[in-house]
Amino acid sequence: MKHDVSEMSDGALAVAIGRYQQAALAEAYRRHAGAVFGLARRLLTDHARAEEIVQEVFVRLWNEPDRFDPDRGTLRSFLLANAHGRSVDLIRSEASRRRREERESAQTADAGYDIAREVWDMALAGHVRDAMEVLHDGERAAIELAYFGGLTYREVAEQLGDAEGTVKSRIRSGLKKLRAELTNSGITVGSGAE
Amino acid sequence: MSDNMAHVEREGDAYDIDELLGAYALDAVDDDERARVEDYLEINPRAAEEVRQHREVATMLAFTGMDAPEGVWSRIEEEIEASAPEPGPELAMVFALDRPDPSAPAPVSTLATERASRRAPVWLLGAAAALALFVAGAVLVTAISDNGRSDPLRDAYAAAESDRDSVRTELVAEGSEAVAIGLIDQDGHGYLDASALPPLDSALTYQLWGVIADNGDVVSLGILGRTPELETFTVESEVAALAVTIEQSPGVISDGNPDGAFVGTF
Repeated sequence: MKHDVSEMSDGALAVAIGRYQQAALAEAYRRHAGAVFGLARRLLTDHARAEEIVQEVFVRLWNEPDRFDPDRGTLRSFLLANAHGRSVDLIRSEASRRRREERESAQTADAGYDIAREVWDMALAGHVRDAMEVLHDGERAAIELAYFGGLTYREVAEQLGDAEGTVKSRIRSGLKKLRAELTNSGITVGSGAE
Repeated sequence: MSDNMAHVEREGDAYDIDELLGAYALDAVDDDERARVEDYLEINPRAAEEVRQHREVATMLAFTGMDAPEGVWSRIEEEIEASAPEPGPELAMVFALDRPDPSAPAPVSTLATERASRRAPVWLLGAAAALALFVAGAVLVTAISDNGRSDPLRDAYAAAESDRDSVRTELVAEGSEAVAIGLIDQDGHGYLDASALPPLDSALTYQLWGVIADNGDVVSLGILGRTPELETFTVESEVAALAVTIEQSPGVISDGNPDGAFVGTF
């Protein structure tokens, strides 16, 4: 009896991965590797290292499937959080930071931190853009620099010339506003277990 | 009072930590703050839920609609296959009996002896070998709940069992009364009823192996966990025998199978 993994929920995929079903891991990869890669590449500005992050994230899922708890969020969120954390670790190493700053000095002019442009090609891009519009500039900049820039809120504060307490409050309030706006648009934002 | 709660209350900083939750969800805190927040999350479900929600929002922002990078999946496959557990030497000796080279000397092993005494007649092995069975690799599936309700997988197992073209074997081990039933239908759908096997300690797992009839190679058909029930697998090449071993969980390379292997030949 063959199970069609393409019809499995993410939660069921995670269970199957826990039982060493390679086809389930392949399906999880098919569904989410693009997003993982996109996030890692955005953070690291390096194609090869972003691929390494993708490989690391999925191999870790295979080796430690119990780390994913469906009650604590979706599989995609889990994978992206892993990719983000690992990417930030790399960014924050001094050598990585130097290399990245060198690259950014040449790229900032045409790359910038523009979330709306980053997500233009996704099906929900319009909703995300609309949701971003409800943020004031300080909230938007703080979230962009923290999430896509890999900066701590203290570093964000320094870069924006704002107080640290202000920045951490803006990140929190901005995320809450985004969630509310997306929910109002009829988008389910991580309803938990799938 | 837990240490975590004491920590938070002593610091009197629950409000400050709440304010950090957004930054924490975006990995935008330093290591000390991360530790404080994680202590806090353990004792505050509301805060944990808030972090979960922040991360889900970040997930929406992160999606770029990009395709998965080419070539990475093949590297992942190589890495996870390289770490797959190999059969220990004792199991390899057992399986050596099924290797096609008839001139190969039979290994001396209590398990091998036990298995030889229970193996099917040569003519039956030949008939089984005539079936085109294909080994697909590790394909273990959801165990069946034994709640008395009609279960599609249990029904499929019953149908395969009654099919005259299916092959069946009993997997037994020296010193154990437990018997597992292996069944493969003509389409290569395999079933293993391992519900009679005794539960293992949490550090151990049962693992299912198949012997390729053509070359005697031993391939892993999947990890069964410590309390297997009715499991399925898929085979895509001719299989001469099945075995269930006890390995270190989860899937570490084993030096052997000191607790014995359950073996059955077709």
